[in-house]
Amino acid sequence: MSASFVHPALFYADEHEYLDGTVPFIREGLAAGEPVAVAVPGKNLALIRDGLGDIADAVRLLDMREAGRNPGRIIPGVLRAFADAQPAGRRVRIIGEPIWAGRTPTEYPACAQHEALINAAFAGRRVTILCPYDVRALDEEVLTDARATHPTVISSGREQGSSAYDWEGVVSRYNEPLPVVPDALSFAFAADSLPTARHTATREAARFGLAGTRLEDLALVTAELTTNSVVHGGGSGELRVWAEDGYVVCEVRDTGRLADPLAGRRPAARDQRGGRGLLLVNLVADLVRVHTGEEGTTIRCWFAR
Amino acid sequence: MTIQYRVPSGSGGAAELTVAPLAERFGVRAVGEVGLATRGIWERALEEVVRDGRAVCHLELAAVTFVDVAGAGVLVDAARRLPAGRRIVVHRPPPALCRTLELFWPDLSAIEVAMS
Repeated sequence: MSASFVHPALFYADEHEYLDGTVPFIREGLAAGEPVAVAVPGKNLALIRDGLGDIADAVRLLDMREAGRNPGRIIPGVLRAFADAQPAGRRVRIIGEPIWAGRTPTEYPACAQHEALINAAFAGRRVTILCPYDVRALDEEVLTDARATHPTVISSGREQGSSAYDWEGVVSRYNEPLPVVPDALSFAFAADSLPTARHTATREAARFGLAGTRLEDLALVTAELTTNSVVHGGGSGELRVWAEDGYVVCEVRDTGRLADPLAGRRPAARDQRGGRGLLLVNLVADLVRVHTGEEGTTIRCWFAR
Repeated sequence: MTIQYRVPSGSGGAAELTVAPLAERFGVRAVGEVGLATRGIWERALEEVVRDGRAVCHLELAAVTFVDVAGAGVLVDAARRLPAGRRIVVHRPPPALCRTLELFWPDLSAIEVAMS
């Protein structure tokens, strides 16, 4: 059995192909003594659960619409959370379906980058992650990206190497600029105004209807992003807050460059002292989009109202 | 043990944190917030607590409005350095601290959260 990471895309056209591609994959894993997790949208999760029958209890089942609502949360909060908890040396098997037809154009770049970064996050590890794609419901562009983010593609039951495989290309292609939103509340901060920045953000978010834990989460996220700007991003930055559809959006811009594409996507070791800021942002926000380049970094976070 | 600290307040918005011993039991009361500017004060206060040999240390945080993730990490780090059987009881922590403890250190026995 291969010692390295295995990451096929599964192109399926209907329920039969879905079940044929997933259930035997799960059974094989269980038969080999491999821990197995399935994180797919609720409707597909029900299909797989029914297909597995009695052995469903032996599999960790998660609704990806919840656990992976923010694509940036999936690697630390779902995939590595499961893989890292298993006995060392044991191969781990996961089905992860992060992209479905209801993903919005705002979410999609983060989805594609997530799929690409799985390759970096699991390089060299004894893990298999199978990613189903609904070929009837998804745009051709999404399937083209899937061929670039997966070294192999399974279609009509046959697995073939993908000559288009280029995950780094996908990470940079979806590093899309996030233009300044006009009419948003804006606040220029530096080291001595970090608390004011946080208060400004929470006051505006509360005015837009954010409350309770969600408002606390926004306060934590604002503190982490603005502090990062002060410490690593040139010493100052700009905070913006606005409402958009059912969300409050909080954005921090600075002149730093985020060099590590996996920043915020590694689970923190229990005894690791710091370095949890961006991880927290990914874990609590409903969506995180990042643009980084020579001219600076923008991180935008959505919180459902 | 008294550590008093104020960040020079040019803009009126800088973070402040004062830490003073509790009169009624072993431990400290903190007032203000824990963030980038006040992390050092927080860290030194917790160091002193850990150095003292008593079994239980009380942290009264009712007047602390916010603790960032690094501040929570400092608290956890202090609690971890306690010998077995000793613990820190955190009284009325701000919601942000509860949230980060729950997210990153859900089963840490050396920290007890008390809502009174």
